[in-house]
Amino acid sequence: MSGHWVHSLIIGGHGYTFNLDTIYTMWFAMAVVLIFAFIATRNLSIIPNKLQAVAESFMLFIWGVLDTMIEKDNRRHVPLVASLFLFILTANLMGQLPLRIIHLKQGELASPTNDLNLTSAMAIIVLVYYVFMGLKKKKFKFFLHELSFTGIISGLVEILEMITRPLSLAIRLFANIFAGEILVTVALGVCAYLLPLPVMLFELLVAFIQATVFMMLTIAYVSSATGDEH
Amino acid sequence: MEELKTISDIAQLGGGIAIGFGAIGAGLGIGVATKGLMDAVSRQPEVAGKAFGFFLLGAALAEACALYAFVIAAKLVGLM
Repeated sequence: MSGHWVHSLIIGGHGYTFNLDTIYTMWFAMAVVLIFAFIATRNLSIIPNKLQAVAESFMLFIWGVLDTMIEKDNRRHVPLVASLFLFILTANLMGQLPLRIIHLKQGELASPTNDLNLTSAMAIIVLVYYVFMGLKKKKFKFFLHELSFTGIISGLVEILEMITRPLSLAIRLFANIFAGEILVTVALGVCAYLLPLPVMLFELLVAFIQATVFMMLTIAYVSSATGDEH
Repeated sequence: MEELKTISDIAQLGGGIAIGFGAIGAGLGIGVATKGLMDAVSRQPEVAGKAFGFFLLGAALAEACALYAFVIAAKLVGLM
């Protein structure tokens, strides 16, 4: 692990740094998702071809999760949830591509999700989305359910959760991918060619699981924000 | 054996301690999740596939706690 390929820029008197490797790999992942979506949804037919079958199985999976966790009016969350799932899956799997062989001046081209900035950005999108959905559904009652002692305490806990939820979402995804890459590097040092293989296979599993976990937690947060009180 | 002299030496020790204690919690969590899976499958073998999916999710959530410790350890050791 040799850090990121950092580009510094001064805009209006403020210094900004850009992790260019993350940005390029993120664009690559976005392009892969876009091209997949474009090709898979062309020439839709009753008898699906292979790519359409794959896309349909993804959609059925996401619909199934949504149906189990949100009771009514759940199809409106599909755009955010499905794009998060597909993007995170693509980004995680990219870490196992031989893209890393390309040597940069500093850093390497690995998964974009091994950068805390990207995962934090996605977690903040989820935060804004579920707070917006909650405010739209329950108006001000989203913060304060009832004007009593327990109501105020639970409202404060709700505000505390607005910090802890995105924090845990971002760090969970980032740490899983980052730890996986370090694990591969360590295994490479112990016994090259032999030991990294099972670790990389395990990382393929982790990529799917983490994409699913991020999506399910997003749905759970939206569900708790828009659902009725229990 | 060299003595711990500088702050960074002690920080490396702290990184080791952090990931060790974090791993205890995650190990216990995954153990409890596996126990739950075994109970469910031995009681109702037909739900094995569905239960395994939930088990993987729960294990991933428990494992995340060790990875929070890993982030702290990586910060202390200087990987990040």
